[in-house]
Amino acid sequence: MPKLIKNGAIVDNTYNWLQDEEQAVTADSIVAAKRWLSEKETMGSIAGIWLEAGDGVEFLQDVDLSQFDVIGVHFPAFTDGRGFSYARLLKERLNYQGEIRALGHFIPDQLGYLLRVGFSSFQFSEEVDLEKALALHKPFTIAYQGDVTDPRPLFLRR
Amino acid sequence: MYQYDAIDQQLVEERVAQFRDQTRRYLNQELSEQEFLPLRLQNGLYVQRYAPMLRIAIPYGMLSSAQLRTLADISCRYDRSYGHFSTRQNLQLNWPKIEDVPDILAELAEVQMHAVQTSGNCIRNTTTDQYAGVISDEIVDPRPYCELIRQWSTFHPEFAFLPRKFKIAVNATESADRAATQVHDIGLHIKKNEAGELGFKVIVGGGLGRTPMVGVTISEFIPRADILTYLDAIIRVYNQQGRRDNKYKARIKILVKALGIEEFRERVEAEWQHLKGKESTVPMSEFERLQSFFSEPNYDILENNPTSLTSKLAESAGFARWFERNTFEHKKAGYRIVTLTLKKAGQAPGDATAEQMQKAADLADKFSFGELRVSHEQNLVLADVKQEQLIELWEAAKEAGFATPTLGLLTDMICCPGGDFCALANAKSIPIAAQIQNTFSDLDYLYDLGNIDLNISGCMNACGHHHVGNIGILGVDKKGEEFYQISIGGASGHDASIGKILGPSFAQEEISDIIQKLMNVYVDNRTEEERFIDTYRRVGITPFKEAAYAKAN
Repeated sequence: MPKLIKNGAIVDNTYNWLQDEEQAVTADSIVAAKRWLSEKETMGSIAGIWLEAGDGVEFLQDVDLSQFDVIGVHFPAFTDGRGFSYARLLKERLNYQGEIRALGHFIPDQLGYLLRVGFSSFQFSEEVDLEKALALHKPFTIAYQGDVTDPRPLFLRR
Repeated sequence: MYQYDAIDQQLVEERVAQFRDQTRRYLNQELSEQEFLPLRLQNGLYVQRYAPMLRIAIPYGMLSSAQLRTLADISCRYDRSYGHFSTRQNLQLNWPKIEDVPDILAELAEVQMHAVQTSGNCIRNTTTDQYAGVISDEIVDPRPYCELIRQWSTFHPEFAFLPRKFKIAVNATESADRAATQVHDIGLHIKKNEAGELGFKVIVGGGLGRTPMVGVTISEFIPRADILTYLDAIIRVYNQQGRRDNKYKARIKILVKALGIEEFRERVEAEWQHLKGKESTVPMSEFERLQSFFSEPNYDILENNPTSLTSKLAESAGFARWFERNTFEHKKAGYRIVTLTLKKAGQAPGDATAEQMQKAADLADKFSFGELRVSHEQNLVLADVKQEQLIELWEAAKEAGFATPTLGLLTDMICCPGGDFCALANAKSIPIAAQIQNTFSDLDYLYDLGNIDLNISGCMNACGHHHVGNIGILGVDKKGEEFYQISIGGASGHDASIGKILGPSFAQEEISDIIQKLMNVYVDNRTEEERFIDTYRRVGITPFKEAAYAKAN
């Protein structure tokens, strides 16, 4: 079974990220958010949805996100930083409490920032050595800004 | 100036360790070229035409003499014994080895310096007025606010991979805008509202590069406590909605222009409503903490214009000239602000040798409480010099090549490193600066011409700010040959404007001759009080164009 990093450990990936619109949906699928929105009446239960860069999060405003075990955020390129805002907005604006999973072309050196904006699991592309990636998990022990784990900037903690 | 506590120090040291590991993995080929690129850029490391270039941050231009000595020393041991001060108040080393960079960063960390976010598509070094804190007409000292922004922007987890680079500049006086705030992604003007409360006028969407634009006002007043949440709101909108399909259309100015300022403002306001009043609201205690680092030095009680000064001014034309051009009024009686110019003929604008850096550090210790500033015009500033010591300082500055009395004049050029160093450049810029310096060497003539900003960039990226020079020179490539396009009418102060292109470009050897023709038009048309830019604004581009392209009989 393919692996991923989740909550600071290497674990089996039990979900299936559906990138192809035609793929059949099952209970362990992570389905494109826009597809889910248009097919949800006929779609059975799923693991969660995923956001494409450009989707934004506003269209999920009236959706009960607690029904999802996971929400994925896709990085079409690791230099495309839109997903950093999406994760943060899912947590802080839409109050989503579940797992946020990074998908696609992000790189291990981004883990520190990804964790701080709310990602908790990381489905790297296959060539990434997860043991080595894990070592890059926490480059900094302290931060100036608030983040999803502690919203207080350093000036409230100094 | 700001002093690191254990936390600030820990952060830069952790960054050194992180970058050391990234460099090791790159050299081991564990990290690809493509992956290492943005990682090294976020630490100021470019790979240039002949060698890497390391851009070291000098937050809002403030340097201690100890820091400058370290920079001099690093330039000797890891580079070719000189550095280049940039328009954004940073220092660039042109010849370090990639494998040495982690060690350089470790040495910088020992004197509370770093290269964090001096490049890359992230929030860059925040810049401000080089006279901050020592002029009489500023609203407040902008430096504590710059430090606030520095800390907020350092390793901001959400904004490390923006569509494009992001530059913020702060100004705190109505009499001038020495930080070119209107051509920054965000320009902040510190002001007081009618109730006397401190805050910021916020200008957004300025910038140079291929599509130069003067910024527009997004808010007339944001209370200072709300500034970080408001900046978060602006950049969050930009991070999600800025273009990422074309790097030349990715700056925030393009988004602001495409949406229109009203629509952009509405989106920012909508985002801000969620952030306003939350944890990132800055408490009074933090302003007080930051202000405490910028309290006044121990000034002596002195009188203005001591007799030693006035008599020297009367007897030495050379000293009087330097005093008039290169020194500026200080808020304290008996003190003066002195610019050490890095514009000596024969030296590239903004360059300083290690020896000069050591010398400048000595002068700072002897005459100015051991502190210096770097200016947007690529000079060094001693902010707190006693008027009675100006003669001694002038003698020492002359000896070190810092006293070229041309601050603000035609030959006080802004110039990028250009094709001699930069991999992006289409043409060389330093030889153009040298040509102009050599041609316009008559000080009386330069004084008669008065204040003129001449800016030179070696390519469209506009690091030499050619768009906002009263005269701008841009290097272009024409079938493999270096040519230069000249524009006039740009300005970077409160009256910021983008220059207009005169017409077809010129060969390198023609440049001085063309500048001379432009000066002749100015001299023939000016009224007594007019600067070059004023005459241009009154008479328009046509007479300049005609003179530049007139055929010889």
